[in-house]
Amino acid sequence: MSVIYIALPIALALGAAGMLACVACIRSGQYDDLQSPPVRILLDDDPEIRERPAATDSKHH
Amino acid sequence: MSNHLEAGSYEADTCAHCGLSMRGASADQLNRPTAANEPSFCCNGCQGAYELIHGWGLTEFYALRDQLGGDESSANGSRKQSFEAFDTDDFLGKAKPRELSNGLLTATLAIHGLHCAACAWLIENAALQTPGLIEARVRLNDHTIRLVYDSKQLKLSQIAQLLDRLGYELAPPTHMPDEHFRNEHRRLLIQIAIAGFCAANAMWIAIALYAGEAGGLAAQHAVFLRMTGSVLGLAAVVFPGRTFFKGAFAAIRTRTPHMDLPVALGLAVGSTVGILNAILGRGAVYFDSLAVLVFLLLIGRWIQFRQQHRAARAVELLLRITPQHANRINASSETETVLVDNLEVGDRVRVLPGESFPVDGVIHRGKSTVDRSLLTGESTPITIDVGDEVLAGMVNLSRSVDIETEAVGSDSRAGKIMQAVDQAIGERIPIIQLADRIGGVFVMVVTLLAVMTFLIWVSTDWLAAAENATSLLIVACPCALALATPLAIAISIGRAAKRKIFVRDGAVFQQMARTGVIWFDKTGTLTEGRPNIQELHGEKRALGLAAALERECCHPIADAIVTAAAHSDCDNNLVAESVEVHDSGVTGVCGGSRVAVGNRLLMQTRGIDVGVSMGRIAESVEAQGVSPIMIAIDGWVVTVITLADPIKHDAAGMVSKIRQMGWRVGMLSGDNSAVVARVANQVGIEPTMAYGDLSPEQKVNVVKKGAIKAGGTNKTPVIMVGDGANDAAALAAADVGIAVRGGAEVSLQAAPVYVSAGELSVVASLIRAARSSRLLIYTTFGVSITYNLIAVTLAVMGQISPLIAAILMPISSVTVLTITLAWPVFLEQKK
Repeated sequence: MSVIYIALPIALALGAAGMLACVACIRSGQYDDLQSPPVRILLDDDPEIRERPAATDSKHH
Repeated sequence: MSNHLEAGSYEADTCAHCGLSMRGASADQLNRPTAANEPSFCCNGCQGAYELIHGWGLTEFYALRDQLGGDESSANGSRKQSFEAFDTDDFLGKAKPRELSNGLLTATLAIHGLHCAACAWLIENAALQTPGLIEARVRLNDHTIRLVYDSKQLKLSQIAQLLDRLGYELAPPTHMPDEHFRNEHRRLLIQIAIAGFCAANAMWIAIALYAGEAGGLAAQHAVFLRMTGSVLGLAAVVFPGRTFFKGAFAAIRTRTPHMDLPVALGLAVGSTVGILNAILGRGAVYFDSLAVLVFLLLIGRWIQFRQQHRAARAVELLLRITPQHANRINASSETETVLVDNLEVGDRVRVLPGESFPVDGVIHRGKSTVDRSLLTGESTPITIDVGDEVLAGMVNLSRSVDIETEAVGSDSRAGKIMQAVDQAIGERIPIIQLADRIGGVFVMVVTLLAVMTFLIWVSTDWLAAAENATSLLIVACPCALALATPLAIAISIGRAAKRKIFVRDGAVFQQMARTGVIWFDKTGTLTEGRPNIQELHGEKRALGLAAALERECCHPIADAIVTAAAHSDCDNNLVAESVEVHDSGVTGVCGGSRVAVGNRLLMQTRGIDVGVSMGRIAESVEAQGVSPIMIAIDGWVVTVITLADPIKHDAAGMVSKIRQMGWRVGMLSGDNSAVVARVANQVGIEPTMAYGDLSPEQKVNVVKKGAIKAGGTNKTPVIMVGDGANDAAALAAADVGIAVRGGAEVSLQAAPVYVSAGELSVVASLIRAARSSRLLIYTTFGVSITYNLIAVTLAVMGQISPLIAAILMPISSVTVLTITLAWPVFLEQKK
């Protein structure tokens, strides 16, 4: 069980690193806009895909 | 994917771009489809935007928009507006483009007309296909766009024009992004992150300790775990948890009860005893519970903070009435667009018809009529001439005029009203939240109980007595109770916002849940605020000719005639050959006949014969205190129409609903008393509760007096519902101010609630929702107090263990959370 003397500080240090990273992200403004980023990732932003003549074909998906 | 959705949008009477119904659009505006399966449009603006989007191959926009559940697009594309101003630094003010290191320019501007993420997608993709525009980044939460462009290829004015064609309006930001909110938001999030880290790890350690109690744990390991857990818990209490201590100290200093008091008490006692126990190596350490408590409470606060701010933003983004820009006439008598802030006393400013006056001033050239309903509540426009005074916020209706600036900013009438608003807000007594009142009582009860427990046990065992008293103080810490109100308010605000009711201050729910007096403004609140045609005598056909002329001018009466013609069966495709606008009406030629539309004065000056039968009708109408509008064709009056400001269709129903809920309903108006009495009669307000001819100051007095008269110790709340600048001070003075759609900027700032849905009945449903949310708060209080009672009883009997406390507390929080989320705040379904 003496392993907790090493394991616990390591676990806490890892957790603290995560927390500090999170705090750094908040400070840099990543969390200021919570509306657009989650949707932006869903939108396909490669313009080449849309080169197909979307307006005229009559296929229904 | 895009196609079946597009096919859907071709249906019957909706515009393919904006999705609005095309009924009501006049025939000449309709761009009818040539074949049945082709899209149709409500206006040229929409057609332009649609073709542009198709040309880029970005038709997925429509599918995305439907999927994401956005509102209809704004149909304001291709307005006639000059964009050259975007290239002048004077126009942009502080937002003028900055040069980047690679020679490109960047500017952050406000963008209006965003509805959902599909709009951001469309704009950003459109930018990719525009040469010279390197990047466009839309931020949906504060409606801004960051542009990076190459000034050699593209000018800012061209970008503005491009976005305008898509239906989005680019504007210099009204103010720099809200620094205060951003910092506060970040601070709260950081606190949550720290508290979350501490709480999660303290809990793991606590689980190890509890498991160790059952399964055997070496003493030195237990000490190590306890010490580590204590350090983590202490960190949560000291860093993120100091918010509660600050709140508690403020409450003690101002002697107002606050929910932070019992929380701080619990935290303080828990920490002190916990440290002692950890050092002495005996008894319980409470740090896991404390860290979780801090974490949960902070989350509750963050949710409420965000909801309130979101509602506030929504209101800020609404249209402003006092324009940001003005056309200044320079030395060479040309106009240049400048920011209103840069205008000085003595500057000459040109105001076009349809624009509102940017400053207070005196007419220097030109004659026109102005609508001052937003400032005074008067429903009829007045005529102005050289030498007359005009005030910022009035709307110029008929012709372009030049004014000489007399007062700007805070010296103007609108500025004075704003000061009165600030004063009224300052004088308003802050509402003590129900939770805070309970918080005050709670502290005393819990402290008394703790002392009692100590006294009961002290005779048998001194140590056990101290142990039981402290565990009582900790388990009684009202975690769920402190969480209940912010959550209930956040939920109510969020659900209200879905119904287009924006609540910026959660405390208003508490006021609205009681009964009291509710005052309505007349013009624009109970009535539409625009005249429409009430009666028509004589030839109906003349309406078509009149509408052809009136389409050329910008005036509420003209709009009324055009609308009436569009809804009648007369010919709507006539186009006037020539139109001349006078003070008292319009004259012109249409379809080969000379047509005159105006009041009696116009007919007299033009030498038009009113005739006997029409004259009689006009006289009988005048006897009722309404001035008739006459339509003459080729020198003969053939039609007489009367106009009135119609009452909103649901006004009477709403008044009776609110009455049934026990509120007294009254009306305060700046308009003529006779009109006020008539409207009061129609919507069912008692004559004794309808006041006319009131100045903004008098309105404030009535609102304040209402509060005092109904007074006594238990003051009944006063609600004011209004739209104009003349209501702003009254809105601020009332316990709850509700600004309605189309209102003036100052009234939006003064009122904590803004209703943007067109229907008045939402006021009634808001009151019902307020009652529902009060019931929700009571219910969650009941539940969490029950948990606390169980815990306290166990503590008094000395039966509580840290494990039971650690289990009880989250269970009560989860119950409160579940009840709150499932609660139907707005019971009735949206029609």
